[in-house]
Amino acid sequence: MKKINKVYVVVASIVLMFSIKSNAQIVKAEIRATGLTCSMCSNAINKQLKTLPEVVNVETDLNTNTFTVTLTEGNALSPKVFKEKVEKAGFFIGTLVITAKPETITQTPYILVNDKSNNLSEIQFQVVDKGYVTEKEFKKLSKSYKNVETYASNNEDDFHIKILN
Amino acid sequence: MKEHLKYFTVLVIFFSITTNAQTKIGDAIPSITLKSNTNNEVAITSFKGKYMLIDFWASWCAPCRLGNKKLVKLHNEISSSKIEIIGISIDTDANKWLKAIEKDKIKFTQLIDPNGFDANTALFFGVDELPSKYLFNPEGVLIAKNPTEEEIIKLIKE
Repeated sequence: MKKINKVYVVVASIVLMFSIKSNAQIVKAEIRATGLTCSMCSNAINKQLKTLPEVVNVETDLNTNTFTVTLTEGNALSPKVFKEKVEKAGFFIGTLVITAKPETITQTPYILVNDKSNNLSEIQFQVVDKGYVTEKEFKKLSKSYKNVETYASNNEDDFHIKILN
Repeated sequence: MKEHLKYFTVLVIFFSITTNAQTKIGDAIPSITLKSNTNNEVAITSFKGKYMLIDFWASWCAPCRLGNKKLVKLHNEISSSKIEIIGISIDTDANKWLKAIEKDKIKFTQLIDPNGFDANTALFFGVDELPSKYLFNPEGVLIAKNPTEEEIIKLIKE
C-alpha cells in the first residue's frame, strides 16, 4: 500500500509539473515584418522560423504581411527568439502579437503596461519594446510609457507587454 | 568488399539527389509540366532549341509586377524565335494570377504552380525570393541566374 502511495505521489507530481508548464507558454505568434524589400517576396523569414523545432506551422497572410507561427504544446520559447530569427533573415519586426496561456505573463520577464482582464483561457498581447515595434512607434511609446520605469532602460531580457483582449 | 562499394555508391547517389534540390549553373532544365493560363499542360523542356528565360513571380509581389512591365517590353522588342519567356507564378489563388496577367498585358507563356514557396517547381529551382529569373541556352542548360536585360539582349544578338 505504501509503495502504491509513493508511485501515486510521483505520478501526480509529474502530471502537475507538466500541467503547470503547459499553462505558461506561448501558443501562437503573429509577426508583421518590415524592411527595405517586400518581406512576403522572400522565403527567408519562413525558413528561419521553421528552423525552430518548436514551430509547428508558419502561415503567411499576404493582405496583412503577417507570418502566423503556431508552436508546440509545452514549449518554453521567449519572444526574443522571433526577433532574432526575423533579423537573421534580414528583416525587422513591425509588430509582434502573442497568444499565450494566462500564466505566461505572471513570470518575471514580462512587465505589463496596461491592465489585465481576468478569466480568459488565452491572452493576447503585443510586445512593445524597442526592436519589437517600428522605430517611429517606439519613439511614440517612449512618451506614453514614461511612467513605466523599466521601459526606457531597454533591457533585452524583459518584455513590456500590452494586453489586447 | 565489392558489395560494400556498391552500397556506398547507391547511398552517395541517393544523397546527391535528395540534398541537391536546387538548379545550378550548368544544370539541365528540369522536366516539369505545369498548367498554363490558357488551360494547357506545358512541359518547360518543350522550348529547347531557343533561349529560355524563366521568371518566377506572384501577383502579390510588387517588385515582380514592376518586372512584368519590363518583360512585356522585352518580349515585344526581341524575336520570339530566339527566346521564349516563361513566367511561372507561385500564386495560391489562380484568379488573382489570371487578373494580374490581364492587367500587366502579358502575352508570353504563363504557367502556375499554386503552392507559394513550397511549390515543387520553386523548390526544385531553389527559389528563395521573388522575382527570380533563370536563363537557359538552346540546349537547355542553365547559363545565368537573374540576368540583366542587357545581358539577355547581348546574348541573343551574338
